[in-house]
This record gives sequence, C-alpha cells and structure tokens, in this order.
Amino acid sequence: MDDHVIGVLSNIGVVSFVALSAYLLLLTGEISFGQQAFFAIGAYGAGVATALWGWPLAAALAWGAAIGGAVAMLVGMPTLRLHGLYFAVATLAFAEMVRILFELFRYQVSIDGELVGPNGGEGFRNIRYVFDHNIDAFQFLLLIYLLLAAALLGFVLLERSRLGVIFRMIGEDETLAGLQGISVVRHRVLAAGIAGSLAGIGGGLYAHLTTYVEPRIFDVMLGVHSLAYGLIGGLGTALGPLLGVVIDIGLLESIRALAGYRMIIFGGFVALLLIVRPRGLLDETTVHRLGRGWRQIFPWPRRPNLNRRGNNA
Amino acid sequence: MIDLIQNTIDGVMIGSSYGLLALGFTLIFGVMRRLDLAYGPSIMIGAYFGTILYLHYGAGPFAVAIAVVIGAAIAGIYVERLCFAPMKAGAAIASMVSSFAIWMQLEQAALLVLPRHTYPFPPLSTGAPLAFGPFLVRIDHLIMLVSTLGLTAVVHLTLHRTRFGLALRAIIGNPVAAHLVGIDVRRAVLVAFAGASSVGGAAGFLVLAVDQQVTPMFGMWATMKGLIAMMIGGLGSVPGAVVGGVLLGIVEAHSQWYFGPQIRDLVAYFLLFAFLVVRPRGLLGCPPDSVLPQKA
Repeated sequence: MDDHVIGVLSNIGVVSFVALSAYLLLLTGEISFGQQAFFAIGAYGAGVATALWGWPLAAALAWGAAIGGAVAMLVGMPTLRLHGLYFAVATLAFAEMVRILFELFRYQVSIDGELVGPNGGEGFRNIRYVFDHNIDAFQFLLLIYLLLAAALLGFVLLERSRLGVIFRMIGEDETLAGLQGISVVRHRVLAAGIAGSLAGIGGGLYAHLTTYVEPRIFDVMLGVHSLAYGLIGGLGTALGPLLGVVIDIGLLESIRALAGYRMIIFGGFVALLLIVRPRGLLDETTVHRLGRGWRQIFPWPRRPNLNRRGNNA
Repeated sequence: MIDLIQNTIDGVMIGSSYGLLALGFTLIFGVMRRLDLAYGPSIMIGAYFGTILYLHYGAGPFAVAIAVVIGAAIAGIYVERLCFAPMKAGAAIASMVSSFAIWMQLEQAALLVLPRHTYPFPPLSTGAPLAFGPFLVRIDHLIMLVSTLGLTAVVHLTLHRTRFGLALRAIIGNPVAAHLVGIDVRRAVLVAFAGASSVGGAAGFLVLAVDQQVTPMFGMWATMKGLIAMMIGGLGSVPGAVVGGVLLGIVEAHSQWYFGPQIRDLVAYFLLFAFLVVRPRGLLGCPPDSVLPQKA
C-alpha cells in the first residue's frame, strides 16, 4: 500500500474512536459536543507517558483511556441533571475549557539535552515512540484497526447484552427506565466513562500517529464532526459512525479534485440526506431488516433470548 | 477604581452586542425548539455581502448595514428551508447536525468568493471617544448600545403588540394548537426565522464595524458568543438574552484586563458551565408555562 492510502486509512481509524464515543452517548439519548476533550486528554496523557516517562506504548494507551474515562465520569456527575440542549452546551463548555487549559499547560523535561513535552499553545512535539521502536506506518495501521475491531466487538456484545438494552432504554425514556428499577444515574455515568475511554484510546493513537499534537486540533469542529458521523452513518449499529467517517474522510478528503468545493458538496449532501433519513443511512429499521434478511439465509446461531434475565449478560 | 469602572463601561458596551446576537438566537430557539448552529455563519454570509459592497462599490456604512441584514436574512431563510422546514417532528438532532453541515457549506462558500483570510470592514465612526470625566466611551460603542436597546424594544413590541407577534407566541406556546386555530405555522416560522437572522445581522454589523475586519471565522465566533449569552440569560427569554449578553461582556472585559485573552475565554466558558450546572434556566429563564418556555 502506498503512503497516502495508509495515511488516509490511519486517519479514518483514529477518528472512528471519537465518532464511536459520541455514538455511545447518542444511544443513551444524550447529545455531546464535547467528546474531543477526552480525545485531547488521551492524546496528551499517552504522549507524556511515552515521551517523558518512557512507558511502553500499550501502557501509555491504557493510561490515556483510563484518564479519559475518569475525567468523563467526573464531568458526567454534575451534568447528570441536564438533558438535551442543556447537556450538549455543558459538554461544549467543558471541552472548550479543556482546550484552553491545554493552551496554558506547560510540562517540559530535558531529555538528551532537548526539551520535550507539552508547551502550551506551541503544542507537544516529538512524540517519537513509533520512530524509536522502528514501527512502520503499516504496522501502526494494523494496531489501530486491531483496537478498533476490539472496540466494535465490544459494541456487538453490548448490543446483545442486558447493559446495551438498558442504555437504549434510557435513551428512549429515562423515566420509564427508572420505573423499571434501573439506576439511571449509575448507567449514565458508566456510559460517559466508557465513551470517555474510547475517545482517550483514539487520542493516544492519534498522538503517536502524528507525533505532534496541539490544542487547536481539539476544537468544537472535531466534536461536532464526530457527533455528525454517527448521524450520517446511522444510529442503528456501531458500524454507522464508521460509515460516516469513511464517507467524510475516505471519500471527500482523499479526492483531490474536489478541493475547494469539498464542504459545499459534503454540507449539501448531509443536509439532504438527513431530510430523507433523519437517523442516518444505517438506522434502526434498516439494521433490523438487514438482520432479518441475514437470518433467513443463515438461521444459525439463534439470536439470544433477551426475555430471560442473566442469560446473556 | 477608575480602571474597574472603565472596564465595566466597556464590558456593557461590548456585551450589548452579545445580547443582540443572543436575541436573534433565542427567537429561533423559541419558535423551533431546536438549535440552529448555522446562525452565526448566516450572519457571516451577510457580512460578506456587506464587505463586497464596500470593497467594490465603496458603499457607506449605512448601505453596508442594510446589505448585512438582508444577506443574513437570505442565508437564514436558506437554512430554515433546508434544515428545519422539511424535518419531521421528532428529528431535533437531525436538524441540528444538518445546520452544522450547512455551517461548513457557508464557510466554504465565503472562502470561495473572497479567498483571503481577512477583509476590511467599514468603520461606523472614526471620531475621538467621548470623555465623561475620567471615563472614555467610544462613539461606535455608544451606537452599539443604543441600537441594541432599540432593537430589543422593537422585538418586544412586535411580540406583544402585533397580531403577528401574537401568532408567534401562540406557536411558541403550542404549535399544534396554533395550527388548529388557523395560524399558518410554516409561514410564520419562516418569517420569524428571517427576522431573527436580521437581528443577528444587525448585531454582526455592529461588532464588525468596531473590529473593522471580517474573517470566515466570524460565523463560529457569533454562534459561540450568542450561545453563551443566551444560555446565561435564560433560554427563550428576550430580556434574558440582553442581560446575559451584558453580563458576559462585563465578565470578559474584567478578565481580559487582569489575565489576558486566554483566561478571558476560559472564564467565559466556566461561567456558562457553572450556570448550566447550578441554574440551568439561566438568569431570567421563564417558568415552563409562560410565553417562552425554557424546556428543551
């Protein structure tokens, strides 16, 4: 594969993590404009871990995911009472605060006579783990897609589990879910935490892919884009947000002839698409139909029975 | 002490333009119950109309102001037709994401027409600031404040003293019931949308005339400032929008003076976040059953 293709595919893979993160919250009925904050936290966290503390990559990515998730849960608590637009704007305000804090954040250590580390608005250069350990672009691409596949597998299992049903139930009607004996508060914080760690992993991968991060990357645009991906691709399955990312980055960004008109076409296309399909290309109905068609051709294995509790949790 | 008062005066002046931005925003939210992310970019399109007139035909401030308002209204109608009118009742998120897509489109369109990053914008007044004792007030700031108060009064009177305003308040209260008593909801919403975008256009003109330059980023700036001021003041409240804008202006002026622009933005977002957590209905958010409900 040539470098351009690898670059585009790597980008798609990394951005998919933020898109999945926003999608998970959409499942629980919340619109977040702020998932880029946890992407940023993961990027800086994992970058600092390898470049400054000399951690191995795996530990650094886990660390990025952990702090992304922890911060997301912390923010999730005060904003729990908020819904709809109020929640969306609160996440937006939080994410912008995080971005500005990274613009002020300086933490530099001299390594081999060179200052390394986040340097405020200048950004954080030389996250060189991938170079230093002779990992080539293709190997890193494999790593990204391995982790993405794991995340998707997680979503498949989630959709089939009791937890997934609870998330969608809270998304449909929170009061009703509460009346069924579901702890809405606990599950919303849990969803926020999982979404935060997903974005955190994506951020860690992003930092090591580009070797350079700066606060400007993590602005509102990234957040609203990642939300839009889920809605373009469809809210019926976790493949929806991925489809959205592929349509945006894969098709439009890589076709050079469209340069200058990309957003005119993409914007108009999305607006028209959402009129026809307000819940995206792969919406719940489509996914259900596809699944039914698939089971008619391949009737096994049987779909798990969700009526009996504990059966498949 | 003099600094403190001078900063507060400047904050009130700048804040009045935030209030005007929030006023248009809150009107759109009131009739739609949906967030129009393309609100700021529509204003930016209007500003580009004005800049083209200024650059190529040497138009004066008054002609430019009218061009900005009309341009913003046209862009607003485009957004309403594409992102809001054809959407089904339950598709609020789709409308919002769609308005974001149109935001991207408008920004790119502006770059295609005028590809440089910044363009000059005609100043409103180049005269020396007026002196009140030790305090200075810029003339264009004063025009800003007066225009804001005047336009707020016009919006308030339109809502409360005209048949069209009555129809709008009926739609804001309950669109189905409004339809049942014979109000042409779709037409009234379109007119309200165009009107709200014009108010935003007026705000945009006043801000840009003080800055004397326009960039495509102005759209994002206007959406964010309008959003913060609207939420602080109370979603859907007309006086709240102005009060929220002025409060935001004062807080920004002080934090800018003492800590610089980065901390200023941090403080502004913190204020928004704190308001949402502690008092989501904002300063003057109405109780749910009055004219402009605060329910999302």
